[in-house]
Amino acid sequence: MVCALGIEGSANKIGIGIIKDGKVLANVRRTYITPPGEGFLPKETAKHHREAILGLVKASLKEAQLEPADLDVICYTKGPGMAPPLLVGAIVARTLSLLWEKPLLGVNHCIGHIEMGRLITGAQNPIVLYVSGGNTQVIAYSNQRYRIFGETIDIAVGNCLDRFARIIKLSNDPSPGYNIEQLAKQSSRYIKLPYVVKGMDVSFSGILSYIEDLAEPGRRQNKRKKQQEAEVIDYSQADLCYSLQETIFAMLVEITERAMAHCDSNEVLIVGGVGCNERLQEMMRIMCEERGGKLFATDERYCIDNGLMIAHAGAEMFRSGTRMPLEEAFVTQRFRTDEVLVSWRED
Amino acid sequence: MPQITNKPNESTIRVPFETPRLAEIAYRVLSVDQEPRRNFVKKTLSLDGDVLVVTFQADQVKNLRTAITSFFESLLLCQDTIKQFGESKGDTAVRGNNDDNAGTQSGSDSA
Repeated sequence: MVCALGIEGSANKIGIGIIKDGKVLANVRRTYITPPGEGFLPKETAKHHREAILGLVKASLKEAQLEPADLDVICYTKGPGMAPPLLVGAIVARTLSLLWEKPLLGVNHCIGHIEMGRLITGAQNPIVLYVSGGNTQVIAYSNQRYRIFGETIDIAVGNCLDRFARIIKLSNDPSPGYNIEQLAKQSSRYIKLPYVVKGMDVSFSGILSYIEDLAEPGRRQNKRKKQQEAEVIDYSQADLCYSLQETIFAMLVEITERAMAHCDSNEVLIVGGVGCNERLQEMMRIMCEERGGKLFATDERYCIDNGLMIAHAGAEMFRSGTRMPLEEAFVTQRFRTDEVLVSWRED
Repeated sequence: MPQITNKPNESTIRVPFETPRLAEIAYRVLSVDQEPRRNFVKKTLSLDGDVLVVTFQADQVKNLRTAITSFFESLLLCQDTIKQFGESKGDTAVRGNNDDNAGTQSGSDSA
């Protein structure tokens, strides 16, 4: 019996979750939404989190109908992520841990996503595609580690989508990716974009620059480009959204398929904020079915950053005997998925 | 640890808490985070009964300000957490609506 409270605040979401033996008791979340055309900055995001976090802790306890005494462990996101928002979660977690006299555990954000996905979908040993605003990784489990098979060599896929949404001034509510997905449904006109897969790795920054030029020709003062302007066709925003999604999702499907073939696996699990994109899920499902495999995916409650995933991963760590002294309860912007010893899996 | 010259800019903040236990909690919570390597500030925390004592030393006043500002943000959040979830009776009821703007004012609770 492990009852855990988890605090997540590594990016623009602040969430608290409570889980007891794999059963979801509470999952509350607030998102810092910026005006169209603007991204979220560390300082402002931390301020948003500071104002929301204590109310969320209260709300989660109320939803779970628990007293602090019922908890076994307090978990928080140790990294990776933006330092100021991470610190908000860490400070509150440390204080609660001492006030309530409960053990404290720092959880790797990526591990949280993977374990949450496995819990909700029941996937046993899948190839994991972890796609979000800060991370893009293809992961396979082997020998007590989640090993990174392929990843982005520059920006994350969600970062590429978010930044494109800013260029064309799409709303950030509920999320830029969601609005791109909706707009893309209005088009089926494919514009050829660069397709950048390098072995098991992918790259998105060049695609972003290319599509920026298409979206706003003349924004850059490039003489050679100006000569070509005569042949520039006026693409609609929907065409661009559609083409961008098709291109970058195809790249992700390709490296995921290669990982499946390499590991002889027939399960794929998609986690992370971009994972709730239904077009990505559809493309991945087609690939899986062609190989006789199966796709596992979750909806926005679990694949977008949430406190529950931190609570669940922390509970697994706690159950397998992991402990952490308070002096080690710091935050770290860089914290790779394969640094964590997966002590709770027996396979 | 950064090298501080023999004439440093210095600032000491004394933050009283309701009980020595709560002061110790704040001390332990706030001792974890190291100053970023490149801000050239030396931060020392200590306890004086129910008072948390924090001393900052830096060669440049500008760096001192940055360090103190970010320290206050953590301190206020820790204090608010204690106020709302600490079990000391009677205190939370008197304060009433302490959710409002709790994280934005600095100075009034300290020294």
